[in-house]
Amino acid sequence: MTLVTPAPSTRTGHWMSDPGFGVYVHIPFCKHRCHYCDFNTYEGQDELHDRYVEALVGEIARWEGPVAPATSVFFGGGTPTLLTSRQLGRILAAVEQRLGIPPDAEITIEANPETIDGPHLEGLLEAGFGRISIGVQSLVPRVLLGLGRTHPPRRALDAIAAARAAGFTDINADLIYGSPWETAADWVTSLEGVIASGVDHVSAYALTVEEGTPLHTLIRTKRVRDVDPDVQAERHGVADDLLGAAGFARYEVSNWAQPGRASRHNVLYWSAGNYLGFGAGAHAHLDGRRWWSTRLPRDFIDAVGSSASTEEGSEVLHEDQRAGEALMLGLRLVSGVHLGAFRDRFGTAPLEARAPIFVTLAEAGLLERADGRLRLSERGTLLANEALCELL
Amino acid sequence: MDQAHQRAIAVIAHIDHGKSTLSDRLLQLTGTVSDRDMREQFLDRMDLERERGITIKAAAVRMGYRAQDGEDYQINLIDTPGHVDFGYEVSRSLAACDGVLLLVDAAQGIEAQTLTNLYLAVDGGLEIIPVLNKIDLPAAQPERYAEELAALIGCDPADIHRISAKTGEGIPQLLEAIVSKVPPPTGDPAAPLRALVFDSVYDTYRGVIAYIRVVDGRIQAKQGVRLMVAEFEAEADEIGIMAPDARPVAALETGEVGYLIAGIKEVSLAKVGDTVTSRTAPAEDPLPGYREPKPMVFAGIYPIEGDDFPELRDALDKLKLNDAALVFEPESSTALGFGFRCGFLGLLHMEIVRERLEREFDLALIATAPSVGYEIELMGASKTVVRNPTDMPDPSKIEAIYEPFVSVMVVTPSDFTGTVMQLCQERRGELKEMHYLSTDRLEIRYHMPLGEIIFDFFDQLKSRTKGYASLDYEPAGMHPSNLVRVDVLLNQQPVDAFSTIVHRDKAYDYGKTMTERLRKLIPRQMFDVPIQAAIGSRVIARETVKAKRKDVLAKCYGGDVSRKRKLLEQQKKGKKKMKQIGSVEVPQGAFIDALRVDTDLDAQAKS
Repeated sequence: MTLVTPAPSTRTGHWMSDPGFGVYVHIPFCKHRCHYCDFNTYEGQDELHDRYVEALVGEIARWEGPVAPATSVFFGGGTPTLLTSRQLGRILAAVEQRLGIPPDAEITIEANPETIDGPHLEGLLEAGFGRISIGVQSLVPRVLLGLGRTHPPRRALDAIAAARAAGFTDINADLIYGSPWETAADWVTSLEGVIASGVDHVSAYALTVEEGTPLHTLIRTKRVRDVDPDVQAERHGVADDLLGAAGFARYEVSNWAQPGRASRHNVLYWSAGNYLGFGAGAHAHLDGRRWWSTRLPRDFIDAVGSSASTEEGSEVLHEDQRAGEALMLGLRLVSGVHLGAFRDRFGTAPLEARAPIFVTLAEAGLLERADGRLRLSERGTLLANEALCELL
Repeated sequence: MDQAHQRAIAVIAHIDHGKSTLSDRLLQLTGTVSDRDMREQFLDRMDLERERGITIKAAAVRMGYRAQDGEDYQINLIDTPGHVDFGYEVSRSLAACDGVLLLVDAAQGIEAQTLTNLYLAVDGGLEIIPVLNKIDLPAAQPERYAEELAALIGCDPADIHRISAKTGEGIPQLLEAIVSKVPPPTGDPAAPLRALVFDSVYDTYRGVIAYIRVVDGRIQAKQGVRLMVAEFEAEADEIGIMAPDARPVAALETGEVGYLIAGIKEVSLAKVGDTVTSRTAPAEDPLPGYREPKPMVFAGIYPIEGDDFPELRDALDKLKLNDAALVFEPESSTALGFGFRCGFLGLLHMEIVRERLEREFDLALIATAPSVGYEIELMGASKTVVRNPTDMPDPSKIEAIYEPFVSVMVVTPSDFTGTVMQLCQERRGELKEMHYLSTDRLEIRYHMPLGEIIFDFFDQLKSRTKGYASLDYEPAGMHPSNLVRVDVLLNQQPVDAFSTIVHRDKAYDYGKTMTERLRKLIPRQMFDVPIQAAIGSRVIARETVKAKRKDVLAKCYGGDVSRKRKLLEQQKKGKKKMKQIGSVEVPQGAFIDALRVDTDLDAQAKS
């Protein structure tokens, strides 16, 4: 197995031929589960926190595969900030000990506005986290209520201000648009509020109704109106306009950043890079092998405790599949895929095999080629699935 | 048996008025079937019939009966099909009889089909024995319906038999009446053999079994026979009677009823109405009344899975062995692939064929909307017949279009007179006749295009009259009509399966319905897709499937790329399954769903 050597940190949001090496850490706990959420997260398991942290530290320490310094680390959930900054710091220290973390690495933690206050934020900074991603979702009470979020809008803005005050220089706000409860004006309110808060990065996701969620049930039983993809397309355009005017550039379908503030870890995913995943239900990828851990926190703890593997499943992609997947991921970036660099990584065969599809998709106005790059057209951005599924 | 002691009868009755139960009772009382062997609806052999409660294929049973005069009689009971589609077969069954039992439900009164068959029997000069059944029912009104029947056939209400086939009440008296009232056969035993084929069925092991009545002469086993219309000669391998199971006999005498097995490979060589004669000493003329079965209703039948086409062909070939009225030829459709254009006697016949194809051959099928056969007179006076709307010539070349008309008879309680008339008028009907059967029930006759009743006329009639009205119809020739072909276009491309021929006044409604239906079934594409209905180049209705604006996954949860890829792989697989009509991707099921019109023939059969 060959490992790419970590490249100097870059935050342009462009596709990278050498995206570095990432680490994802999953914290599967929430105080309340939101109505739309189908992530691997659980309520009411507070008593597991200590043991879960121990298990995570153990899991990281016993990693025996290839090792490279982590150019990006991402703590996601769930609600990672349900854990104390001491606990989170122990886990991060374990990563540093096992893999090494260069000084310019991007280290992100996701946070729920209700779980962070000044001391906690300071603790996180001290522990080594330099970037924080705050789940704002909306700044309109009615919309927050519909989504099953329990905090008032003010709380999210306070959290952003507190993070800034504590010393965070890299702040992301997560937003959700196109929910059944949201009007066009609501969406503008949320965007304007987030822009005014001075965040450096915005992730705005169209609400996706996932099967098995309470929201899905509400819609299926006609108690809540279904989401309208046309409305969502409209709102995506509004986001582009307002954020663009405020100096944010969109670098991926759902991500906007101030210059030099694109998420390194995010771009690593879209560049089909290598990353390890630690924790219940975490996913990892190394050179075409993808694998994931057991989903239940308790099972994860037990496995580590009994020195058993936490791996629940895996798949190995053959060469062409890897290339197809790299296209599927890379084309989501606004910069598109650099064809020369892509050829260096995956050879010429995958591109040649797809040449007729490129032509068809270009004729359909979904795909374009410029400056040695292949990318989705403006129209193709919101119809990405149509193009990407053909390229697999 | 000598002619004087033979009786041949049929029972004419509306569905559910108790014909099968009466047959069962007659079989039991004459000892033809022992009580131990008796099962319900004994004569209705096929599964399909039993489930629908109707009889498709007639059966003939010989019963021995010792009358009160001490003499032994032979009563041949010829079962008749009970539905409008099989009117011709009914007429041949009746031609094999000397009398009929007119069986009417004492709680419901006479219905349209029964009336038609009664007129057939009267025209044939048959002795009519009127019978009111189900007098044991609390709702029975024997006095009232006896009046009605008496007025119809011109007899005394007191002469009408009142029975309960269920309990057996009145059956002995009925048997006596059959012997005393129905005349014996009048054929000439010395004349050359002439036997009427009144039914034929195909048996996998024996070939065709033809049910016959010997009109003149006699037929012997092993003799050479000739089917006069089919011009087919064969050896009579076996002749026999049904009593009720098949029992070979050495000969059938003048007037006797039985079966003939002669190594005939398909029923089209021994069609209903044909005459069996002797090969060596043939009769000069066949018996009168033969008619070719004439398909009236046409539809394309397609396998839902295109791969099933060869199986469908085999299945139709097999059904054809047993169904001389079924015609079919291969056709192809851009929307539905390869299938067959089939011709049927009527809607029920179509439904039966379809059900048998699905049930006996395990095929999943879709049928296009049924249509009738049109005669097109072209400029320059040549004529052509169109059975598939897509074969319709260019409107500019057409001088006139003729469509088949039928004489429709509706029997209804007088409360619904206005409702029935309104429905018939909506369907381009022309009132011909109206008369009271009794103070509160009447018979209404309309002259109406067949094309107007093959869709949902019957359903409408039933629902608008709360199930009280009954319907019958018979062909009434071809007449010119102001008809147009309406095409349905998907992104400017005609979709053949939806082309139809309708009256000009109804073109818009059809166009509107189909375009709306398709708009709901065609998924959004990358561009706006117009769905239009057009007469020639003139668009009469339009809907648009708006272009898809957003189709992108929002995010990648914690690096779970596998899930993302699987979703896209699924999407790709879904796309592959789509049918390509021009540049529009259409789900396989969409056209099929659009064609699925609930004609609900089950309800029709049960009524």
